[in-house]
Amino acid sequence: MEQLLEILEDIQPDADYETCETLIDDGILDSFAILSIVSELQDEFGITITPADIIPENFNSAKALYAMVERLRAE
Amino acid sequence: MSLISMEFLLFVIAAVTGYYLIPRRFQWVWLLAFSYIYYVSGGIRVTCFLLFTTVTTYFAGRWMEQASQSMQDKKEEKKRKKQILAGTLILNFGVLGVLKYTNFMLDTISSITGGEFEPLTLLLPLGISFYTFQSMGYLLDVYWGRSQAEHNLFRFALFVSFFPQILQGPIGRFGSLGRQLYASHSLDRKNIEGGFLRILWGYFKKMVIADNAVIFVNAIFDHPDLYDGLGIVGVLAYSIQLYCDFSGGMDVVLGIAKLFGIQLDENFKRPYFAVSITDFWHRWHITLGTWMKDYVFYPVSLSGWMKSFSKFAKKTFGKQTGRTLPICLANLIVFLVVGVWHGAAWKFIIYGLYNGLIIAFSGLMAPSYRKWKKALHISDDSRAFHLFQIFRTFVLVNISWYFDRAGDVKTALLMMKHTLTKFDLRQILEPGIDVGEASGTAYTMIALGVILGGCLLLFLVSVLQERGKDLTELFIRQNWMVKAFVYLCLILALPVFGQPSGEAGGFIYAQF
Repeated sequence: MEQLLEILEDIQPDADYETCETLIDDGILDSFAILSIVSELQDEFGITITPADIIPENFNSAKALYAMVERLRAE
Repeated sequence: MSLISMEFLLFVIAAVTGYYLIPRRFQWVWLLAFSYIYYVSGGIRVTCFLLFTTVTTYFAGRWMEQASQSMQDKKEEKKRKKQILAGTLILNFGVLGVLKYTNFMLDTISSITGGEFEPLTLLLPLGISFYTFQSMGYLLDVYWGRSQAEHNLFRFALFVSFFPQILQGPIGRFGSLGRQLYASHSLDRKNIEGGFLRILWGYFKKMVIADNAVIFVNAIFDHPDLYDGLGIVGVLAYSIQLYCDFSGGMDVVLGIAKLFGIQLDENFKRPYFAVSITDFWHRWHITLGTWMKDYVFYPVSLSGWMKSFSKFAKKTFGKQTGRTLPICLANLIVFLVVGVWHGAAWKFIIYGLYNGLIIAFSGLMAPSYRKWKKALHISDDSRAFHLFQIFRTFVLVNISWYFDRAGDVKTALLMMKHTLTKFDLRQILEPGIDVGEASGTAYTMIALGVILGGCLLLFLVSVLQERGKDLTELFIRQNWMVKAFVYLCLILALPVFGQPSGEAGGFIYAQF
């Protein structure tokens, strides 16, 4: 989780990732930020993220992102 | 059947009345019947294209579902689904491409080879871009497992052909639109009152503001030499016309859908209040933007070849730039497609790339902007900075409108040059210069006053909406006298201040 928070802070510093659960719904992460995060997650965790995974439910909070990473690592 | 006609009005009244009188389980059948009556009234032959897209997409969805259920080997299943998807995409986008772009391709080839070019007469089914994009979106959702395949061909046919939206969108998603279309709806006073208000507001924007603005737009853009001092008036009038024409059309469409209890996706959110070009595209033609994002931008960005490019870019340019460059490239591809979607001409390709380049540049520069703003103590919450951002974006958008409206790239560039070097507002006031003569509608000071008055009202409404006020809800809460007064004012404004629809023509986006 810490590694994930570091990635998020590096890409988009102006957000409270510990508590925010509306990163997509409130437009905090735009499509550029989303793809930057995807690129980093793929490199760091060795996972493959497909267009089907890019849905608000997976990107609305750090917790949701972490759950997606864990799921894809297990696959 | 034009959206601005008594015929269409009677058609909608009949559709809505019957919708609430028949048993609710048949409501979707009723909508399907009216949707096809509407489409067939535009021509039997063009309906064949609509049927083609409906049938091919429906069966492709079902085959993908069968592949998922019957095949044990995941790799084989994925391969089969990919083949079905690719085949259907090629077929449908192929039809769209041939009908829309053949003349452009032949013209380009003949201008390169120096040959003669005779444009071919090709059918262009109404709303083909919109229903093709909507259907292909459905298919990709089924492919990715975001949506279940629809089992009933007729229900699917309604999703593709729902009559209020088929001509100019909004581009719907199966997940939300399909569910609403097939559900039963009971008569709700709020939907009828709110829907009717929105329809009238849409007609007001189109007939009173856009159709008066078009007088200036046509005169100035079609005669750039005659009105070389009025470039700025022309482009501002065009920004008003385009917004009021398209968003007015959307108000009418969303209002009609509301009468049936169906909430279509919003296509506009006060785009001229945008603080960047990216923000502009989140507010302008929203459903096209989100379609492009979900079905082109993300898939292209996550494709194998883009991953290879990303690795190469990170090695060559470092982590941050290397991470952003592939996204910028994918973004340019998206806006190239957006440009081509707008029309078969080089000026539209430049229009798309212009937008794409600005967004790509902003993406690359984002970390630097953050540092600069911090160093200069500029806060995003500052009112002055916010207004500066709106003004800057409005100027950038208006530059793109020159390409969108001018006859060709050369004329657009010449008009931009004249805007800066030959500005002469007196041309509009000089006796003897009939600004409206070119469009066949006489220019009067009244037309100018109507545009300004209409824009002032639109601005006030937009400011309130931007501040989060729900004006429809506020309207519904009023007593019947207030409501009747508002309805009456809007209805009377149409014939008194509006241009006859025959003079100004139909909706711009209905040609797509």
